[in-house]
Amino acid sequence: MSVRMTRRKLTNALMMSLSTAAAGLGLLVLALILFHLVVKGAGALNLAVFTQDTPAPNAVGGLRNAIVGSLIMSAMAVLIGTPIGILAGTYMAEYGRFSRLSTVIRFVNDILLSAPSIIVGLFVYQVLVATLGHFSALAGAVALAILVIPTVVRTTEDMLRLVPDQLREAGLAMGAPRWIVIRQIAYKAARAGMVTGVLLAIARISGETAPLLFTALSNNFFSLNLSAPMASLPITIFQFALSPYDNWQALAWAGALLITVAVLALSILARLVTSQKDKS
Amino acid sequence: MDTLTRDRNPLTFQGIDPAPKSRISIRNLEFFYGATRALKGIDLELPENQVTAFIGPSGCGKSTLLRVLNRMYDLYPGQRATGEVLLDGENILAKGTDLNRLRAKVGMVFQKPTPFPMTIHENIAFGLRLMGVAKTEMEGRIEAALRGAALWEEVKDKLGSSGQSLSGGQQQRLCIARTIAVEPEVILLDEPASALDPISTGKIEETIHQLKARFTIAIVTHNMQQASRVSDRTAFMYLGDLIEAGETAQIFTRPQHERTSDYITGRFG
Repeated sequence: MSVRMTRRKLTNALMMSLSTAAAGLGLLVLALILFHLVVKGAGALNLAVFTQDTPAPNAVGGLRNAIVGSLIMSAMAVLIGTPIGILAGTYMAEYGRFSRLSTVIRFVNDILLSAPSIIVGLFVYQVLVATLGHFSALAGAVALAILVIPTVVRTTEDMLRLVPDQLREAGLAMGAPRWIVIRQIAYKAARAGMVTGVLLAIARISGETAPLLFTALSNNFFSLNLSAPMASLPITIFQFALSPYDNWQALAWAGALLITVAVLALSILARLVTSQKDKS
Repeated sequence: MDTLTRDRNPLTFQGIDPAPKSRISIRNLEFFYGATRALKGIDLELPENQVTAFIGPSGCGKSTLLRVLNRMYDLYPGQRATGEVLLDGENILAKGTDLNRLRAKVGMVFQKPTPFPMTIHENIAFGLRLMGVAKTEMEGRIEAALRGAALWEEVKDKLGSSGQSLSGGQQQRLCIARTIAVEPEVILLDEPASALDPISTGKIEETIHQLKARFTIAIVTHNMQQASRVSDRTAFMYLGDLIEAGETAQIFTRPQHERTSDYITGRFG
């Protein structure tokens, strides 16, 4: 074998080991985090976590108010953000496909997509909390909705753009008005991707702390009042993890495990939805 | 509702009429992609219940011409047509033309099969619902359309499965079925068999033969044998000009222009 071939083989082996090692290192870190989380979190998980509210230091309690608060605010954020995001994405991919406005929206949306979430929190604080004079769950939901919108806009537009023009033309060629073609043909063809976008948006907001800090604040008690402060998992974790109390720290671990499992479940669900599309 | 009551008796048109009635009249049609002039003063009649084939080398404007006939170009900015295209005496290029109504009257089948992402049944029902066909008539109309496109026997037991699960040739016949289900006056076929194998192509051509008794058909094709097999009249286009049009037999045996004869004998294109 020539020297050149030998050198190529060696280079190949070297590059392969380096990239395998890098991938392995990444996985190892992830595995360590998960392992740590499961060990610490599972130990703190019990029925009381779901049935009792956040306790006083060194007392028995759970995370019920925080879990319910997170669910309520995330659900509201999705209810507010998804329609706006889907409509905006639809405008950009369908009606406004050739307009300058779409280019501008896309640019602004990309900025919003990568904007630090604490800025969104401050914005909503200024607009809703400062003007109304009090923290509220509604403000928290609005802040989260502002994080949902750009993700949904982006995936909706991307997925609709993947729908071949031929399919739209075929629908229009049947004499169908534009909105029927969009709703019955384009949405159907892009459905899996659009649902995935919404699921990923939920996964993103479920761990957000900063936007809630200035808006929903937190609440040590169970509350369903949208115009009052409301507890949430991320903020409770933040608060409890920094505390010197053992029972609070244990609950913080339990909460962290809950969020991680929820995000994991959503990601798997998103995968399943996408792969179902590939099969059909 | 004139589409339902119009006389479609095939016996009226069995080749005995020396000057068949024109269904579409194209007068001095010009088409522009931005500043590019893609059609240069086209004048042509599409006779009722006949198949008119458009042939010519790539880029000659034959697909463009087809896309004018249902104003499909309207979707894209920078594309415009001038001149006149008369359908039932109305200039479809006029401002204020109801495009949805026009496209219901002028159906189109594309080069690549484009089944909608829904079941076979829904693919056909889609257009029928747009027309407001009553639920009681629906199943009958769907079966008739699938029979018309020679697809019924192959799909009658799986109307509930996805249209996209069919083979390429079946998909294309589904698209034809979908188009004829709404009883248009004119059917535009844009290279409907170019993506298909010879057997599927044969089935599509048979279908076209059946359909001309009921519809006026315009077909764009790259395949000269296909043009000679399926069409009554042939129009040869070159670089945006209509070089000549006439009886298919005459175009293929005694073309008037040298360019036409060069093209059909395979000397260029």
